This record gives sequence, structure tokens and C-alpha cells, in this order.
Amino acid sequence: MIEVTIQLLGFIAAAALVVIGIAGMLFLDNLIKKIISFTLLSDGVNLLLVALGYVEGGIVPILIPGMSVSEFAARAALVFPVGIVLTNIVIGVSTTAILVALAIMLYRRYGTLKASKVLKGERR
Amino acid sequence: MSAYPSNLWSIPLLVVIPIIVAVVVNFIYNRSRLIKIISIVSAVCLALIASLSSYGYHWFTGQPALRPETLTFTFDPGFPAWRLALEFYFGPLQQVMIFVMSLILIFVVAVASSGLTKRQGPYMSMIFLLFASAAIIIMVNDLYHLWIAVEIGSLVVAGVVVGSGTSVSHKAALKYTFFSALSGAGLAIALALILGLTGYSNISDAIRYLQSVNLGEMSIILYVAFAFFVLSWIYAGGLAPIHPLKSEVYGASFPHGTAMLQTQSKLMLVAIGIVMLQIFGMLPFVREVMLAISIITMMLGVVMALIQTDFRWILAYLIVSHSGLVTVGISLGTTEGLVGGIFQAVNDVIYMTVLLLCCEALYYFGGKTSTRNSLGLAKRAPWLGMAVILGTMAASGIPPFNGFQSELILIQASLKAGLPEVAAVILMVSVTTFIALFRAVYRLFLKPPETSEPVAEVKVPRSLYIGLWVFVALTLIIGVYPNIVVSFITPVAQAVSIPWYL
Repeated sequence: MIEVTIQLLGFIAAAALVVIGIAGMLFLDNLIKKIISFTLLSDGVNLLLVALGYVEGGIVPILIPGMSVSEFAARAALVFPVGIVLTNIVIGVSTTAILVALAIMLYRRYGTLKASKVLKGERR
Repeated sequence: MSAYPSNLWSIPLLVVIPIIVAVVVNFIYNRSRLIKIISIVSAVCLALIASLSSYGYHWFTGQPALRPETLTFTFDPGFPAWRLALEFYFGPLQQVMIFVMSLILIFVVAVASSGLTKRQGPYMSMIFLLFASAAIIIMVNDLYHLWIAVEIGSLVVAGVVVGSGTSVSHKAALKYTFFSALSGAGLAIALALILGLTGYSNISDAIRYLQSVNLGEMSIILYVAFAFFVLSWIYAGGLAPIHPLKSEVYGASFPHGTAMLQTQSKLMLVAIGIVMLQIFGMLPFVREVMLAISIITMMLGVVMALIQTDFRWILAYLIVSHSGLVTVGISLGTTEGLVGGIFQAVNDVIYMTVLLLCCEALYYFGGKTSTRNSLGLAKRAPWLGMAVILGTMAASGIPPFNGFQSELILIQASLKAGLPEVAAVILMVSVTTFIALFRAVYRLFLKPPETSEPVAEVKVPRSLYIGLWVFVALTLIIGVYPNIVVSFITPVAQAVSIPWYL
């Protein structure tokens, strides 16, 4: 029997967000909905990373005076995934900003946000 | 490796200078003359730094590696430790790649500043950020910053494409950015998996760890990480199956922008490919998968180029096809394969720059790039006509040009690995490249125009012609003396190579 832990729940939720995000990006026709799906995908990846770094009963990864190195190593939450998540949030915001800007430009030109109409035909 | 001195001041300048220039030219926005001077001087400085700098390591923030057992710093670059700072490594391979890239940057900014009248600052800013992101990917020695640089690079690619200002370019940028979201997320997951498996984000440390332990059942995690890495690799180089997306990006940009984009893309392919080879190369079927992707890319790219009726799009698909030539060598993973693949990348960016600058010149002769037009440009601009023919010969692998040398090494490497079918595909790509290119060159440059209307005098910027002939000369010099480049590549290829039959 698999034990249901916070970490496992985090993994399941992350997988769900990633699948919903990818499905939305692939199958929804509205550009704004596609962009929202991308943010869901990005959140899913962030949650996966946070769950990876989770330590049951862990402490903030700061070496407090008086704490032994072995105790710190055993209990400190993994700091690296948190660093990746922070970076991914920044990258996600930048990507979303560019996507929204491009969607606005295309909307002004074509008068629609339907990807099937905007992205079709006219190559040169 | 530990023999190299650490914290060399010159190495970070290759990243810091383009970032500072990007900020400055964006700030001064429309002062064309000042932007031109700053951009060209900075690009020349970057070329000088790349050619004169010593080899070694640099830790940004001055924070070297942390020894896990004692939590003390170590300055030994060879010591396995937590390397949390941005760590750059600059060796012969990095030198030759960054030098070629900076040479292309010089002429790209010169041509761009002559041709662009509006939004020059932001556009130039994107070009410099493109250089910075590629330089980071080439030099960085940890997966975390590799991921960040790939992400930055993909956003900047979108910026350069949008810079050409057409609705086609907006659409190409939108599609490319959507896919960057997928591949970026994939690379983040790959990074997390490798970190979880090895405990290291530093590439050298992770490789050392993986070579020292038997992963057993855990190797499945490494395969999953490989799958995500492949996604990012495909994205970086526009390999199959996303080759139409990347071709669209190339076709929708200004030709000089495409010259920089394809340089960034090919050098990223080499850098990421070598990392993949080192981390995953020992796993069964990994190199076979990489090889299959490369062969499919080569064939699809060249066939698509054959059916195009526009010079820009022919070049766009050929760039993608030739990315496959680069990755074939890296996928083989043998010393000869790696030398051939990396050498092909260097040669490819040079002769494609010749062809793209010729395409740029077409804009000054009325902007018609469709091969349905007969322009007879060779008569109006004989130097341009000669340059495009020489560029076509180099791209088709005809001796004595540089393309011939690298394709010969690749064919020899394939035969030595016992894969004559791969050698046959390389030959087929070479011949088809010639057909696709010569068809366009004949129509646009050699065939007399259908109408005999008097034509106005056209003034092509001097920088474009100078750039054109510098790169034509390079194709010839490297073709006659390949050791100029190969001597830089061989030590690295020997260090990371793996026999094809393990």
C-alpha cells in the first residue's frame, strides 16, 4: 500500500497541472486561454520542484549557530529546488508578458484571438 | 582541468559587455550613429577578448565551490563540491566558437545599423542579448544556469524575430514562444531529476558522480531526464519534429538577424549536445535516438528546401537541415564524429552568413526574393553574384571550401563507426543542398531579367560587401587549411568522446 504523503500529493497535483496546461495549450483555440494554460503548466513544474525539495519535519536551510553540520544536513529542506522555482516564476512572468504582447499585436491586426484564424495562411 | 587558473577576469566580460551594451543601446533608442559606433566597437572588443583571453575558470560573485563535508570553500576547479555560483569554463572549443560568433556579430550590427531606420536601439539590444545567452550556454558549467540561458535565449529569439515588424514575424514569434514554454519546463524537470539523482547541478561533478556509481534501477530516472533534455535540444536547434517552427523563425526575420539566430542555434546545439553526450552517452540507445533525430532533420530540412520558391525560405530550411549535419557528428560521439560535428557547426555558420548577407543585399535591389523572378543580378552586381556562387559551393560541400572539409570528416566518422547509410544520407544532403541553392541562384542572379526596363542605381552598404568577402575568404582559408579550426576542437573531442560500439 502506497503511503499518502504531502510530497506524493504534491507530485499528483503537479502532474495534473502539467497535463491540463499542455492539453490547454494544444487544444484550446483562444490565444488568451492558451496563455493561461501555459501559466498552469509553469505552476505545475514549480509545484513539482517544491515537492522534490520537501523534507518531512524539515527546517529552513539556514545554519544556526550551535547546530551541528550533521543535524543540519539531515533536517534542512533542499534549497536548490526553491532557487529553481524562484527563477522559473521570473521566467514564467517574462514569457507570459511576451505572449500577451504578441497576442495583442495579432488581435489588432486580425481582430480575433482565435489561433486557428490568426495563425492560418499568409506566410510571406 | 585543475591546472587552469581560476577567476580569470577576461572570461565574464564575454557576457557582461553584451549585456551592458544591450541596456545602453536600448536606452539611447533612436540615436542611430551613436548606436552604430557603440555596437561595432563592443563587437570588436568581444572578438579581441575571445581571441586573446587565457584559458581557465571563473566563478561569478567570487564564491567558489563549497565542500559538503566541512562547509568550507575550495578553489580547486577539479574538486567535486557544491558549486552554487555561476561557473564559466573557457577553453579552446569555447574560444573558437565565441570568436566566430563575435566576428558574425560585428557584421550583423554593422549591416543592421545601415539598414534599419526605426527601433534601432531595441533591435540591437536583442542582438547583443542573443550573443550573451549563447556565450553563457557555451561557457557555463552548471545545469541551472544552462537552463536559465536557454530560457533567456528563447525569449530573445522571439524579440529578434518580432524586430522585423511583420505580422508573419509576430506569428512565428508567438508559436516559437509557446513551444519554448514546453521545452523550458522540460529542461527544468531534467535539471531537477539530475540534481535529485546525483546531488550536483554542476555538470562536471554530476558527470563524475554518474561515472563512479552503478545506477541500477535508478537509471530509468536518467532516461526520463534524457527525454526532457532531448526536448530542449530539439527546440534549441529546430530539429525534427519542430523544424517547421524554427524555419519559420529564420524565414520571418531580417536576413542579418537570421545570421545571428542560426549562429546562436548551432552553437547551442553543440554545447547542449556535448553536455548530453557526457551525462547520458553511456546509456544504451541514447546516441541511437540522437542520431535518428539528426538524420530525420537533415532529410526533412533539405527536402523542404527543395520545394520552396523563395530564397529566404530555401535558406531557412537549409539552415535547419544543416543543423542535422552538426548533430549527426555529436550523436556519433566518437572523436572523429565530434570533430566533424563541431567543425561543421563552425563552417556552417560562416557559409550560411555569406548566403544570408547575399539575401540581405537583395533587399537593396528591390526586395524580391522569390525564385519566380529573374533578376539577372550577377550583371548588375558582379561581386555579389560571385559571392553567392562561392557561398553556394561552400554550403554544398564542394572543394576547396570549408563545407567540404567538415562533411568529409563526418562521412569518414560515419564509415569508421560502421554506419555507411549515415554517410550516404550526408552525401544526399550535400547534393540536394546544391540543387536547392543553385536553382535559386540561377533564377535570381544568373538568368537575364525578363523585362529590359532601365534600372536605377542601387547603393548597397559597404559594410555588407566587406562582411560578405570576409566570410567568403574564411570559407576558402578554412577549406584549404582546416587545421586552423580543427586543432582547437580535437583536444575537446578526444576528452569527451565515447566509442560507437561500447
